[in-house]
Amino acid sequence: MTTRALWRNRRRQEDAPSASPAPPAAAPEPEAEVPTGAILPLDIPPGDPLLAYLQANQTSVIDLQRLTLDSDGVRALRAAGVRLALPLVSQGELVGLINLGQRLSEQDYSSDDRRLLGNLATQAAPAVRVAQLVRQQQLEALERQRIEQELRVARLIQQFLLPKSVPAVDGWEVTAHYQPARAVGGDFYDFIPFPDGRIAFVIGDVTDKGVPAALVMATTRTLLRSAAERLVSPGAVLEQTNNQLVENIPPKMFVTCLYALLDPATGHLVYANAGHDVPYRRTRAGVVELRARGMPLGLLPNMHYEQHEVTLEPGDCVLLYSDGLVEAHSPTREMFGFPRLQAMMGEPADGNLVPFLLGRLHAFTGPQWEQEDDVTIVLLGSRPDGRGPGGPGETREVLAHFELPSRPGNERLAMQQVADIVAPLGLPQGKLDRLKTAVAEATMNGMEHGNKYDETIPVLIEVARAAGDLTISITDRGLQQPIPEAISPDLTAKLAGQQSPRGWGLFLIQNMVDEMHVTTDEVHHTVKLVIHLTEGAQRGTTE
Amino acid sequence: MSTDYQQPNVQTQVRQEGGAGVIIIQGEVTGFAEDALMSAYTEASAGATPVIILDFTGLEYMNSTGIGLLVTLLIRAQRQQQRLLACGLSDHYRQIFDLTRLNEAIGIYDSQAEALAAVAAAEGR
Repeated sequence: MTTRALWRNRRRQEDAPSASPAPPAAAPEPEAEVPTGAILPLDIPPGDPLLAYLQANQTSVIDLQRLTLDSDGVRALRAAGVRLALPLVSQGELVGLINLGQRLSEQDYSSDDRRLLGNLATQAAPAVRVAQLVRQQQLEALERQRIEQELRVARLIQQFLLPKSVPAVDGWEVTAHYQPARAVGGDFYDFIPFPDGRIAFVIGDVTDKGVPAALVMATTRTLLRSAAERLVSPGAVLEQTNNQLVENIPPKMFVTCLYALLDPATGHLVYANAGHDVPYRRTRAGVVELRARGMPLGLLPNMHYEQHEVTLEPGDCVLLYSDGLVEAHSPTREMFGFPRLQAMMGEPADGNLVPFLLGRLHAFTGPQWEQEDDVTIVLLGSRPDGRGPGGPGETREVLAHFELPSRPGNERLAMQQVADIVAPLGLPQGKLDRLKTAVAEATMNGMEHGNKYDETIPVLIEVARAAGDLTISITDRGLQQPIPEAISPDLTAKLAGQQSPRGWGLFLIQNMVDEMHVTTDEVHHTVKLVIHLTEGAQRGTTE
Repeated sequence: MSTDYQQPNVQTQVRQEGGAGVIIIQGEVTGFAEDALMSAYTEASAGATPVIILDFTGLEYMNSTGIGLLVTLLIRAQRQQQRLLACGLSDHYRQIFDLTRLNEAIGIYDSQAEALAAVAAAEGR
């Protein structure tokens, strides 16, 4: 600590204590050019021999003129016109110095003066110490207020952006628990609904705490949501978010994130992971990890994110959580840890798993737990009694879903991929050909009219089977454009030049499949093609 | 992806045979095929051929834009007072010709030989 000695030069008579036997005021030495009425801050560096000398001579009045010490501090004091210095010592600690210049009378300080000054120093030291402590506490209180204010802001940002409720999904129970640490970590979670009924579950953790973490969390959440508007596959969503975040994140900060896309109708779950804690899936057979490799978001550009998929059976559940849970400590500094969590998930628990896990966590940490980090848990539970709007009896099976960039010619890929996907159904050749044409035409419409051949906006294609029907849903991002009313193409009118030679697409689609349904929401536009799977079709006979 | 679908994937071959211009189409009739199809048609029409036969035996794919191209060809044929015939269509595309009523404006034959025979028969009459 640097000892700061202040010397106040009071020359004006009215300021000087009158009739004082020990003049605390002093005139500057002739050689010392000290400005009148100035406070001269003198910083004595911690290594200066003067400090050691003062510490060793706590009760002395020190005559600067006679002091033989090779010290910058002494030279500085002398230059400031100081003649006498009295250490102020409280409880053995040097807390300051009283410095006196020359007496106004220009006489030397008498031994009485020195004794009086010694007494003054002894009595002043505790008072100075108290004043210093009060000042220190005031500064600390201000700092605490500043931190509290910052935490309030961080908490506000976080709470504003976290979902206000969990999605209500037929056949599923979704539970979320968020418990911020005092310092407010960077945890977040989100639910992103898709027009076809699928829902993305997101959980993430930003390095760092407080306002910086909350701001990065807000950015990440926005980037994820905008990626999800255009992309369906979790790996692609993370990839795009990463590339955008890399350019917009402060150095040394990054975000771990797990993104899982659930089709509630089938239990099909596709997931990708950007370095987040691995989720657990509980099945009748036990608890398993849902692993997928990928770097945290915001570290390096052009990262690839592995994507895996599982189909959750009725009664299964998937636990997403943050490291605040597994890194919680017991009073004996033992860590909660992954094996404990995995084991607990496997224990028979009545009712919802989240209150059960939280109960166990609190028993582990004890009541005096000072929570180090945010604890976030999102549980995705499939009800054991079946699911789907048609009840347990009806099952809808998604055979596949994929997306294609809106690039002229890509309808050929769409039709080939759909043909490959439905090949096991053994559709009669004619039916298959008609389906392929319908898929190609609907994809072309989506790419051209919906997405304006913007290659960054894909067309999403889902192939599903339910109750004897094969359904192909083709979704574009047509926004709120009105769907042009289909003019029934008329060859005679076309040949007579009364209609454009084109305009056959919708007409073809309608005639190629058993049913066609068009749905729109504020962003998407979906054409659903339905083929009735006849007995013959399922047996693989030909027409 | 082995095939680049962003370019014409069509080849045309033009022959004059039995008083008809024959265009043998191999590949895909889509919007990308416009230039190839139109120039083949011009070539096949050289010498004021009264009949143009489109041989679709090698057709791999035709979409609604391709159907639009055929309508454009039909309009051109009508202006030039040519007849347009088609042959070698698969069941699927025959059905599409039925649906769009293209079969009413274009004579449909199973094979090139049948189409040429029909041309010869019409000339003989």
